[in-house]
Amino acid sequence: MSDGRLQAIGLCRYYHRGPQTVKAVDEVDLTIAPGEFLGIVGASGSGKSTLLNLLAGLDTPTAGEIRYENTPLRALSRQELASYRAHKVGMIFQSFNLIQHHTALKNVEMALYFNDTPHRERRCLAEKTLTRLGLGDRMHHRPADLSGGEQQRVAIARALVKEPEILFADEPTGNLDHDNTGQIAELLTDLHRRGLTVVMVTHDLELARQCTSRIVNMHYGRLQSENEPPQPRKASS
Amino acid sequence: MTFRDYISVSTGNLWRMKLRATLTVAGVVIAIAAFIAIMSYGVGLQQNITEQYENLGLVNTMMVYPPRDQQKVDTANIVINQEMVDSITALPGVRLVYPFNEFNVTITTADTSITTKAQALSVTALQTKAFSDLAAGETFGNDSAKYILATEALLHDLAIESADSLIGDTLIVSIDVASLDSAIARVPQTMLENIHDRAANIRMDSLRNRDYLMHLVHAELKVAMTGFMDGLMNARKTVSDTLVVSGVLRGRFGGPLRLKPIIIPIATGRNFASAGYSGDPVNMLGAMYDGSIFEAPSDSSRTFPKLTLELDPHHAYEPIRDTIEALGFRTFSFAEQLKEIRRFFIYFDLGLAVVGMIALVTAALGIVNTMVMSIVERTREIGVLKSLGAGERDIRILFLVESGLIGIIGAIIGIIGGWMISRVASIIARTIMEREGIPPMELFALPLWLIATALGFALAVSLIAGYYPASRAARIDPVNALRGE
Repeated sequence: MSDGRLQAIGLCRYYHRGPQTVKAVDEVDLTIAPGEFLGIVGASGSGKSTLLNLLAGLDTPTAGEIRYENTPLRALSRQELASYRAHKVGMIFQSFNLIQHHTALKNVEMALYFNDTPHRERRCLAEKTLTRLGLGDRMHHRPADLSGGEQQRVAIARALVKEPEILFADEPTGNLDHDNTGQIAELLTDLHRRGLTVVMVTHDLELARQCTSRIVNMHYGRLQSENEPPQPRKASS
Repeated sequence: MTFRDYISVSTGNLWRMKLRATLTVAGVVIAIAAFIAIMSYGVGLQQNITEQYENLGLVNTMMVYPPRDQQKVDTANIVINQEMVDSITALPGVRLVYPFNEFNVTITTADTSITTKAQALSVTALQTKAFSDLAAGETFGNDSAKYILATEALLHDLAIESADSLIGDTLIVSIDVASLDSAIARVPQTMLENIHDRAANIRMDSLRNRDYLMHLVHAELKVAMTGFMDGLMNARKTVSDTLVVSGVLRGRFGGPLRLKPIIIPIATGRNFASAGYSGDPVNMLGAMYDGSIFEAPSDSSRTFPKLTLELDPHHAYEPIRDTIEALGFRTFSFAEQLKEIRRFFIYFDLGLAVVGMIALVTAALGIVNTMVMSIVERTREIGVLKSLGAGERDIRILFLVESGLIGIIGAIIGIIGGWMISRVASIIARTIMEREGIPPMELFALPLWLIATALGFALAVSLIAGYYPASRAARIDPVNALRGE
């Protein structure tokens, strides 16, 4: 067994729909090394988002095990699992999942409510992160007043502000146009370059090849193949 | 999350759903206002009674009565007389004993003349707390003073409005007494009336007949008895004295001690009492039956309808009560009555609280509804918070704080509202009391404990109401919530 940061061993997540059992994730073994940028690709309904939710500690496996730095998540209490999400994990979603009635700044600040960041430091950290992502002049805007790309950058800022050890991105460019997709891809690549472990779920193989260091393919809940890291695409002028 | 974060997030959430939150808070406001208004009435009433007892020192007062059925053989000799007064005075814990001694008097002023009741009391008795509540003037200085103490009942009977105006006024106090002298004197007088007619009707030839003779004797005895009774009932002599009003005691109905409209120094009063029988003519027959009407009134033979005992506050009243009751007398303790009143008020207040609580339970349903609606609307937000690291505990507390805030805000406004309602009701009650000639009193009270109870109830009920929605929110599956399911 390798010493990866995050390991999935025989991971299963089944749903029962009446008499039928849907195997969303089935016997998945996966190791994610520190500093790796893993791309999980596959068709819609192949179980990639379910796998991501399991790895992020949002969902509970039916069978198998997830180990974070050799600690099984199953052994953690619900409060400890929440603490794992608060301290170790950052998440971004296809639909951004920003809280609509809060400003961009407040949305980012809220991520620090749960990881013991002192009250007085939260605003400063949130402002710095937003500025770093080029949203210094948009931090007092509500999500409805921001473009899709800006909203996703706010979501990334929210994930990054607590300095997670792994960033999980679930179809981060799924709702974005070509230009914004490029910007977000560059941003994620840059974060990976700086040493952050990133796990990205996408159905866009091209994007996966462009950003990730390793790609795994999911098909009907099972990991089918591991591709060699694609050559980085040249930035468009 | 810190408590400050919970408050800040919850306040923000309530602020966003202003209309719904306001309506829910309004439900709590109405419930708490009703609770406060109702309870402050109960508490005010209890406070009034307790204060009256304490101010008049009634807690240390005990009344002693003769047995209820004096006709029974085993209780016939149990009477309240001077001997019994002395033995009760000697009991440990008894500070003072004064007998109740009342008689009918006629009061004549420059303008009017009324018949009322008087009571003779010693100066020592007047120094107790029960007689300390003076509306004007002061009590008389010694037991043979030519002063009287009036109660506000006399003011009312004399149609005098100000107690001060009666102080220093001279009243002629008189009583009509039936004496044995007047009754006996009337017998020959009655018998001489129509004696010729009666003599003319005598059948001399039948005098030897025993039955006829007995008939004549009966007829003459009847005439003699009629004269005796007429003398006793109607030929009463009047004993009067001129007395000055030294003070007026508060209380139109004589207060809990049932004071008579006029209180006369005990030695001065004795002059009236020793003049003869002044009681009700109907009761006179009873006095004749037991022979008391013919006895020369003296301190040793005098009996009293009741005694008032002033007890040592540091001494338990129960042993004194038990000792006196063992002698065959009946007792009445104000301390015991106060205990009963307090016990009654526990149930009374509980009943009032239940009425208030019904309103609060209705408001609680409003809170449940609001919070459940809030969860439905914020399911996705809950999912986001969980993905950011919020635990079930955080979500539960967040929703509990939100419902708790509804309760607290509602309680604060409700307490102010309830207080305002009680003020308005108090003003109305006082106006009615003044119009009816009843001394105005404060019927409502809002002690700190009642405010704290209302706050506590509102908080507890809102937290209980919020517990189910909060638990439901805490159990929301973040994956489904983020998917928008």
